[in-house]
Amino acid sequence: MKTSKKLLAILPALALVAASCGGSDSSSEGSAASVDSAAPAATDAPEEVDQTQAGDLTFHMITHSDDGPFWSVLKRGADAAAADLGVTLVWKPGVNDAQVMVQDIEAAIAEGSDGIAASLPDPDALVGPLQSAVAAGVPVITLNSGSNDYQEIGALTHVGQTEVIAGNGAGERFNAAGAKKILCGQQEQGNVALTERCEGLAETFDGEVVIAFMGLDADTTEQQNTINAALAADTDIDGFMGVGPVITLSGLRAAQDLGRDLTIGGFDLTPELIGEIEAGNIAFTVDQQQYLQGYMPVLLLFLNVTNQNTLGGGLPILTGPGFVTPENAAEILALSEVGTR
Amino acid sequence: MSEQDTPIDTPSAVAATSTVDASNSLAPAADERLLYRSIFQRLFIRPEVGAIIGIVGIWSFFWAVSETFGTVGQTFGWLDTASTVGIMAVAVSMLMIGGEFDLSSGAMTGAMGMLIIYLVKETGELGGRGFPLVIAIPLSLLVALGIGYLNGFVVERTGQPSFIITLGTFFALIGLKLGLAKRFVGQIQIGRTDEAADFDFFRLIFAAEWERNTHELEVRDALYIGFIVAGFGILTLAISELWFKRREKMQPVGLVMFLVGVGVGVGGLLGLHVTDGTAANAALVAVMAIGGFLGLFGWATWRYEPSADRGALSLDSQMRRRLGVGLAAMVLSSIAAVAIDSSSTNQILFPFTTQGVRVILILVFAGIGIGLIAMASQAALSVNAATKFVVTTVFALAIGIVALTVFVDSSDTKFRGSLFGVVLAAAVTVLIWAVLTFRFEERRTGSARADHLGVRLLALGSTLLFVGLAFRMLFITAEELAAGVPPAKTSVRLLWFILFTIAMMWVLARTRFGSWTFAVGGNKEAARQVGVPAARTKTQLFMLVSVAAWFVGLLVAFRINSIQANNGDGQEFIFIIAAVVGGTLLTGGYGTAFGGAIGACILSIPAIGISSARWNTDWRFLIVGVILLLAVVSNKFLRNKAEGIRR
Repeated sequence: MKTSKKLLAILPALALVAASCGGSDSSSEGSAASVDSAAPAATDAPEEVDQTQAGDLTFHMITHSDDGPFWSVLKRGADAAAADLGVTLVWKPGVNDAQVMVQDIEAAIAEGSDGIAASLPDPDALVGPLQSAVAAGVPVITLNSGSNDYQEIGALTHVGQTEVIAGNGAGERFNAAGAKKILCGQQEQGNVALTERCEGLAETFDGEVVIAFMGLDADTTEQQNTINAALAADTDIDGFMGVGPVITLSGLRAAQDLGRDLTIGGFDLTPELIGEIEAGNIAFTVDQQQYLQGYMPVLLLFLNVTNQNTLGGGLPILTGPGFVTPENAAEILALSEVGTR
Repeated sequence: MSEQDTPIDTPSAVAATSTVDASNSLAPAADERLLYRSIFQRLFIRPEVGAIIGIVGIWSFFWAVSETFGTVGQTFGWLDTASTVGIMAVAVSMLMIGGEFDLSSGAMTGAMGMLIIYLVKETGELGGRGFPLVIAIPLSLLVALGIGYLNGFVVERTGQPSFIITLGTFFALIGLKLGLAKRFVGQIQIGRTDEAADFDFFRLIFAAEWERNTHELEVRDALYIGFIVAGFGILTLAISELWFKRREKMQPVGLVMFLVGVGVGVGGLLGLHVTDGTAANAALVAVMAIGGFLGLFGWATWRYEPSADRGALSLDSQMRRRLGVGLAAMVLSSIAAVAIDSSSTNQILFPFTTQGVRVILILVFAGIGIGLIAMASQAALSVNAATKFVVTTVFALAIGIVALTVFVDSSDTKFRGSLFGVVLAAAVTVLIWAVLTFRFEERRTGSARADHLGVRLLALGSTLLFVGLAFRMLFITAEELAAGVPPAKTSVRLLWFILFTIAMMWVLARTRFGSWTFAVGGNKEAARQVGVPAARTKTQLFMLVSVAAWFVGLLVAFRINSIQANNGDGQEFIFIIAAVVGGTLLTGGYGTAFGGAIGACILSIPAIGISSARWNTDWRFLIVGVILLLAVVSNKFLRNKAEGIRR
């Protein structure tokens, strides 16, 4: 089954090679569909060729998206890019299941995708299929997660925010606020990304950082009381960073209950969180600007396919950390309600 | 002595005892329904006994290892955490007693919270201004009842396991939550319950809070100590009423002694309240203790039969060996406490330091000593009153040694003060009990009048203790404020949790629906054949769970004013674990509502406790797992014991 899929994957690539050999100029290479219409199209004016081909271009965005608040903004970015550029975007949310993603990648290659943008939550499972996409001549860009493996795949670039750099940025913010000891609260156990955020914070922060699991988002009551207990047990703590929006608000409530004045920083955006920043209760939140992680891969794939451009010089393109602070909170809130931040 | 006091009663008492003894030895032949079981035996075989022992153990553990865990603020913390989980755990316990599962219960809490916010929210796509809460709340209740009914209906109609059916509902709810949220709000976190016009009124019902630091009560400590002492006193009387055999004719001398004792005790208490200074305090505590003992002894002399046949001290070789080795271990424990130098503070967490080794030595020796002596006294119970008295006294002394070890050993005020006090009180209690059981005849037959009074006194004493604790928890004194006690607050959620638990305990114990629940969970076919509406009962249980989920959803929506779509997902297993820890059987037909509530507390204590102790939180779920395993094993053990007692 698998080998036949791989065979199927190679066929359009062969067709592609044939088409580009026979075509008059570089802009003729593109979708497998263009094989059928390549001959008449190639004789038309170049602008028209581009337009037809753009309309025919199909990009696949295959991610571990759970369609949560984070990913829905990212998808909006990708959709906006597709609409702006006039290409077709196929959105494949893997819901944290690498196996589903592998199948989607193989299917996309088989369908003759013009470009694949994929996230890499599980490099061991996903590097191989994406390498075969590259081998089949399909340009690949990794997004969101995958900064360590995109080069091995042969991807054009990686669009995302490394968690460590985001944490570094947060550490500088806490330094500026004069904090001495920070509790870095996590809402999941054993999540590499969340741990890297805290470790990145510890790298640049001048004081002490306590990293601890503080209860799941599914039970905010427990989360708040657990943070309360941790703060009450250590009166030296004068800063709290939540590595997600819900736990950040839980931290704020716990501090308020205890009557403690903490410097609070958070990760990601929700209207409630931005509202608290506007009110001055939370100092900042780290925004990885995931709209860009949706928009940019589509744009970069388009430019690569239509114009052979590459961006980033082989280095990853960082979309974050952007910061939402009391100064820009109002504008970000408006954008967040539209769903692009 | 007592033979001289009541020469006429003795023969009959002896006769009564000997007949009971005869029936005991002939137990297999006698009708088991006539065999007397004391109220304590009946309490001991209740399903939640393991959980109650567990909560005392785990609370003490975190109290010992953390500076802040025992404070009022953190106590409210774990109670608040237990409240929302507990309401669900109680409802889930009832469903499990009825023989079914509901895996959609967790997702449903979040779904119901979101539903409320939808209904009140001002959203474009829902069309203009949302409903006021007065409409939204009953409307969402109808939806909850509908989902519960659907769960029950499908389970009953298909005859498939509820595990699978509700798994379907679970996924359907998760999808609905996410899909509808994004459809209507464009986000998965929806917020602002307070947009509803009548928010403030309903906030009082679902989220009213009590700030301890703004409620100063000067006489708080007097009320607290008064209620606690009165509560303990009445509990002691209640237990003796249930424990000892009543006289045919009361002894007025005893009544006088009782009143004098109470007078002395109250005098000591009042003196303690007005005076200050360590020496005066110690003297007045001694006065109180003497008054208390005098009162108790007077009460017993007034009401209870003196013991008939005390026998003579007789120790078999095993008991002697155990006592000897046990006492030797106690001595070693004390030597370890005194001989090894302790300069640092509490270091229980570091077993490889000198201090740690010392603590381990003390604990191991004390544990061996107490254990062996306890085993000897267990054996002595069945010899005769005199032997029992002597061995129990030794037992009390052993506990006293532990108290002194704690006192000498610990530089930590918490251990030096609180733990010393508790252990010493335990030693005194055992000693007093040794004297009383030596002096008076234990009851071996049922007595409706004594049980009636005893149970009422038990309830009164517990209520007084509870009220005393409530004063301590809810009010603050000027000294505490001056000392900078951090703010603590509780909310009406805790009250709802307590009320719901009591209501469900009542339903299970006193109503026909409660009996039906046990019947359908035990054996559905048999229940149906004797006329229990099995399908209806089960459907109603599913509806009960979904109504509880609706209520918890409301509590959460009012608490944090916003809900994320994954709120509650996965919590259904926490509810089931809480029910199992509380002694409810997975197979149905056995369990209690109270157990579920205690189970929720047992799960919330480590969550808060680990944070309070500043431990590495990576181990938290290990602790949850160990608790679950221990609970299952010990509940099984206790159940076997219980069946032994029943027989």
